[in-house]
Amino acid sequence: MNIKNYLACPECDLLLQRVLPVVGEKIHCPRCNYLLHRPSAESITRTFALSLAGFCLLLPANLLPIVGIKVLENYHDGTLLSGVLTLFKEGMWGVSIVVFLSSMLFPILNIVLACLISGHLYFNRPNRYLSLWLRTLQHIEEWAMLEVYLLGIIVACVKLAAMAELKFGLGLTAFVLLLLVTLTLASHFDHVLFWRHIEQLNSHEKK
Amino acid sequence: MKKNNTALAQGLIRCHDCGCLAQRSVVNCSRCGSQLHARLPNSFQRTFALLLSGLALYIPANLFPIMTVTQLGVGEPHTILGGIIALIHSDMLPIAMLVLVASILVPLLKLLGLSLLLLCVHYRWQVNAKRWTQMYRIIAFVGRWSMLDIFMISILVSLVDLGGVAQIIAGSAATAFAAVVILTIFAAKSFDPRLIWDVQI
Repeated sequence: MNIKNYLACPECDLLLQRVLPVVGEKIHCPRCNYLLHRPSAESITRTFALSLAGFCLLLPANLLPIVGIKVLENYHDGTLLSGVLTLFKEGMWGVSIVVFLSSMLFPILNIVLACLISGHLYFNRPNRYLSLWLRTLQHIEEWAMLEVYLLGIIVACVKLAAMAELKFGLGLTAFVLLLLVTLTLASHFDHVLFWRHIEQLNSHEKK
Repeated sequence: MKKNNTALAQGLIRCHDCGCLAQRSVVNCSRCGSQLHARLPNSFQRTFALLLSGLALYIPANLFPIMTVTQLGVGEPHTILGGIIALIHSDMLPIAMLVLVASILVPLLKLLGLSLLLLCVHYRWQVNAKRWTQMYRIIAFVGRWSMLDIFMISILVSLVDLGGVAQIIAGSAATAFAAVVILTIFAAKSFDPRLIWDVQI
């Protein structure tokens, strides 16, 4: 039997015949209902476009003020970076590193790696680091927690609204856009297709 | 349940990273180069160790103040539960519920659920494996939302830094709580749901 024609469910190890779904179709594992594959139209082009858009939003989202508060004529605003730095200065380096990784470094890496991988696939350029990049991307994906951070911003604002005047900055707009781009990117990213393309590209290069 | 329909029973291993199949004798995946394992290595022991550490840190995370709010020179330390009670007192019930779910119920249910999964695998309980896999998926999915409190603190400390007028300082429970969240996410990641299916006869 040719193992290329089979696949195994990652969560229950059921051996299945490989089928190629068309766009809009979803394949679930018949035994445990795990979502095995959901192809997206123009996955590579869309991933490339979205990651370029995300690229432009990275700096504004990370460095521009997200919210500012005004208490008794004192104005102070906060960015993603200033939260990390303040925590570090207060000696909470553990929390500060966790926040830095999950709200800044991993989201940035996520976009950069998606851009590198889809760019190489889009222009059909083989690269021996492609599979390393995609593996890294798959591992850091779940540690980028922008959507949780947005909820944190909302809760913090509700708490502060009672005691101070709030002012929303341009950074918040950039942050929400970055979040939307990242989520759309994740839903259009077809891992099965990407792995197949990487294999093809790299095997052509070997010949 | 038939046992010979799994990849492992047919002598095949699925690569964790790229998902392609390989014979059991192969060490590294031919497509992506990562190491092949039939199941996540030492899944039970790793999950158990991470779970115990998470459980131990859950106590200081709830006992110590997570932040201190100073207004016009008067400091007031808050624990996680105290913060929720303060929110209820200021008539913000929906937000209070949200924080209650994210920072108390989710970590607690996660610790409980992972313990059940480990017990199931260890004592080879005959269960509805589909349902238990679903429980595992929920545990793996909700873990990240507990970071809510940590992110909120990060925003608050950088915003409310107005010297004598008002200041918010993070407390020692923040480190413990962040550690609980991270450890339980790692615990969920290191648990292999295929073990549930393996122990079913």
